[in-house]
Amino acid sequence: MADNKLSWTELRRALANRAGVTEKEANLFLNAFNAQLVEALKSDKQVKINGLGIFRLQTVAPRKSVNVASGEEITIGEYNKIAFVPEAGVKELVEKGLQPSAITNKAAEPVDPIQKLGAQAEEIVDLLGELGQGTKEPSAVSNQPAEKPKAKKAKTKAKAEEPKAEIEEPSAVSIQPSEPVVEEPSAVSIQPSEPVVEEPSAVSIQPSEPVVEEPSAVSIQPSEPVVEEPKAEEPKEAPKKQYHFMRDTLICVVILLMLLLVGYFFLRTQISSWIESLMKDEPKVEMVAEPVVEEPEIVIVEEPEEWTYDELLLTENIAEGSRLAWISKKYYGNKVYWPYLYEANKDHIDNPSLITVGTPIRVPKLSAAEKDTTTAQFQQLKAKAYEKVGMLAN
Amino acid sequence: MLTKDLIGQVANATGLSKKKVEQLLTTNNAIMRETLMAGKAVQLQGLGTLEVKEKKERAIVHPRTGERKIIPSKKQLVFRPVANLKDELKKI
Repeated sequence: MADNKLSWTELRRALANRAGVTEKEANLFLNAFNAQLVEALKSDKQVKINGLGIFRLQTVAPRKSVNVASGEEITIGEYNKIAFVPEAGVKELVEKGLQPSAITNKAAEPVDPIQKLGAQAEEIVDLLGELGQGTKEPSAVSNQPAEKPKAKKAKTKAKAEEPKAEIEEPSAVSIQPSEPVVEEPSAVSIQPSEPVVEEPSAVSIQPSEPVVEEPSAVSIQPSEPVVEEPKAEEPKEAPKKQYHFMRDTLICVVILLMLLLVGYFFLRTQISSWIESLMKDEPKVEMVAEPVVEEPEIVIVEEPEEWTYDELLLTENIAEGSRLAWISKKYYGNKVYWPYLYEANKDHIDNPSLITVGTPIRVPKLSAAEKDTTTAQFQQLKAKAYEKVGMLAN
Repeated sequence: MLTKDLIGQVANATGLSKKKVEQLLTTNNAIMRETLMAGKAVQLQGLGTLEVKEKKERAIVHPRTGERKIIPSKKQLVFRPVANLKDELKKI
């Protein structure tokens, strides 16, 4: 059991190490965290922790049961239970999670990069053989010159590779005296054109990274080496992206300015023509006024279909990680009333499932009749709100 | 309650800065995730245990179409509260 569980002390120690604090501080934090979590569960009934999941206090409704011994009917009273829902990412991680066997097999993994290195070393030998006329050189010898030039250019990379070269062909290292090896690379590197020197270095960057990083990463993910490889290319792309970003924003600003200008002129001509028509046709406007009076009546007939609220409880700015259902639960006690919130705020919310942090949400007061979820009005609101989500989600 | 509020409360209770608490919380979560990924449980004193449970594969019948299916076995992250806390919260 002890092997299969991260105990409180171990967690505290790991946290202190990783976060760079004293164990005392880590302990203080963990204790306070647990205490506050319980307090929050009691007061708010749900606590969301980013990067982990949601703890929720669920109420289990009373139910009838039968006493198995006597056959009597009994009721099991209402009670609360703690439910934990892991975050989507965490859930996925756990589902994929490493098998215990995979953890013990870790030792076998570091061999792969070395094999890769070996294969690449052979390629380099072939290249050198073609370009540098290295027919005389045995493979073991040409392996080393391929890596030595790098040692001059980038010492750090070479440090990681040299020991591996020794692991691959220890016999070769011991047989060959060091002096000829040093001489040969210079001969080899002069003969072939520059691309040859560059190529091996480009090739070698890939194996070197996974090898250096794996010891730390092995315990976490087996697939990490694959993820790590593209890193070599990223730095080159970064400045380009920045440049693109600058250009895009410039274009956007120019377009906006043009739109504003066009809009301004359009509005000015519209307004001036409208004022002219008013000045000219004043008597006509009076004539038109009568039928206009009828129109509002029709509008008034339409309005009751749309739900409006009389009293505003308060306005809350939406916080990070919050949503309409969350606010609904907070103020109305149930998340099903969120369509009302959407309806009350739809003038500035387009998609109820995509609200920017900080958006003010008007929370109207709901009457008892409005809290009845079976009414046609609520069903209509609900259908509308859900349709909005579905339409925009698809 | 959202993460931000919890960070504020913990910061108040401990006297640590909010930034520090946030950093500790994220590191703590990362440690827990890694531990859970490896199939190990995490014990939270006074709170409970977060553990990975293996769910066996099971056969289901679709209630409407009558179609029979086998749901493959999977792993699930579950939280098991300490008996003390469980009883305490029952009554609220």
